[in-house]
Amino acid sequence: MWKFFRSIRSWWYLVKQLTLVEIVGMYKKSFLGMAWMFILPILAVIIWVILNGAGVVNPGETDIPYPAYVLLSTSIWGFFLEAYKSTSTILTKNGRMLIMSEVPFEPLLAQKIVVHLINFIIPFAVNIIVLLAFGVRFSALALLFPFSLAPLLLLGMSLGMVVAIFRVIMVDVANLIDEGMKLLMFLTPIVYTPKITASWLEVIVHYNPLTYLIGFSRDLLTSGTFYMPLHYLIFSGVSLIVVAVSFRFLLKSSSIVLERLINN
Amino acid sequence: MDEHLLEINQVSKKFCRRLKRSLFYGIKDVARQTVGLPITTQLRPEEFWATHEVSFKVKPGEIIAVIGANGSGKTTLMRMIAGIYQPTSGEIKYRQGLKVTPIFALNVGLRNEFTGLENMKLKAAIFGMTEAELKRKLDFIIDFSELEYALDTPVGNYSSGMRARLSYSVAIATEPDLFIIDEALAVGDSLFKTKCYEHLGEYVQEKERAVLYVTNRIRKVMALANRVLVMRSGKLIQDSQDTTGALEYYINDIVGDDMTERVKEMKLKKIRHFEM
Repeated sequence: MWKFFRSIRSWWYLVKQLTLVEIVGMYKKSFLGMAWMFILPILAVIIWVILNGAGVVNPGETDIPYPAYVLLSTSIWGFFLEAYKSTSTILTKNGRMLIMSEVPFEPLLAQKIVVHLINFIIPFAVNIIVLLAFGVRFSALALLFPFSLAPLLLLGMSLGMVVAIFRVIMVDVANLIDEGMKLLMFLTPIVYTPKITASWLEVIVHYNPLTYLIGFSRDLLTSGTFYMPLHYLIFSGVSLIVVAVSFRFLLKSSSIVLERLINN
Repeated sequence: MDEHLLEINQVSKKFCRRLKRSLFYGIKDVARQTVGLPITTQLRPEEFWATHEVSFKVKPGEIIAVIGANGSGKTTLMRMIAGIYQPTSGEIKYRQGLKVTPIFALNVGLRNEFTGLENMKLKAAIFGMTEAELKRKLDFIIDFSELEYALDTPVGNYSSGMRARLSYSVAIATEPDLFIIDEALAVGDSLFKTKCYEHLGEYVQEKERAVLYVTNRIRKVMALANRVLVMRSGKLIQDSQDTTGALEYYINDIVGDDMTERVKEMKLKKIRHFEM
């Protein structure tokens, strides 16, 4: 991991420039520009309010209004999913730069994470306002919320780094995992609560680390309580180990994979 | 390393001809490496040597032209020297602290919707410059590229020559000890190219620097090189400081069969009576 931080330090200006180019470039051709960062979360709330009102979804008992619950849970899930997505495409999306210049993958990885965090913060600020409008009140412990997301970031990156290799040499595996992520969302208490009663789903939810990593952050923000703290700590430790192992895997495999990027 | 900037010893690199098999070998190699097993350095079915047992040394002050027909291994060799590809076997030794700047494609990293100035910053970052370094060298880059009038114009509206000037100027501003140019000066207007040749000539004289450039153009070899490496089917078959002799050998023995006698004679004449 030290190699990662050393590399980021010496390529910091590239991280900064690529971040600027990506954020500005994302909205450069849009008439509404950066307003999209606010429009999308508002649209998401409206959709869930409509679905809830129509009685289409039966989420189980929630401590806060259902649309607020889903909005928050999907934001936290999105945080994990985007960490995975942006990491898993670093080799394929930057293939030309990687084989035509000396740029290593570490600054590209760091830049993706920085962009991911920026993309998360603004819509999330909108979500907080919506949560307040739904009557959710925050305690002082809610200030710990951003830090509680770290294991989710690490877990998303870990999976992404492994899939980044497969996306070059064995795209079938990458496609399967991409599809699996959609399923995983429904196997995690996001649009329903962990108190779900379907027996087979209950077992999966029980063994799913995301149940605890997402639930802990959600409860910390909305009620200032710790959801299953021991499980959260265990899976946080696991995510720390897994990210180190995945980084080493990417680092060791990158030379084998790089020469095959020409096929992309 | 004695007085050399770079020492290449018996360097080989293999690739696979077929895409799916190449990916299969990739999976196999990643799996072996993950469990700590060695990866074979022998050729497997459908594999071939892109470069094979290449050895040479680079001294300060040298401007080396690497010539050879398409697929002779020039770019693969340059990518290994730049550290992008790892050799299958052999060793590349760099003088301690040697700064290498490679340019393989001038357009890499350029963003059409951003201005010339914004792209200069981006390109500088891609070449590994820091913000402070760029601040110091920005005037040189603007001046050398002769693009001051188009700094606020989106690069999408630049001609290929303007793009080449932008990228090349940033690359040269990194002041590398070893400058690798792979066909990057193939585009651009002839006045700018002549300026680059002159600049490179002075550049290697100033400090302990060298240039390695890939080309097949006689004019570029004659105008710039003081040493020529000729490659064929992945092998280095000639390494000579007699640029005229090396080019004549290249035309007569390497690519001559693919030319008519008239074209061949014309090219040889161009070599023998070259004037800058």
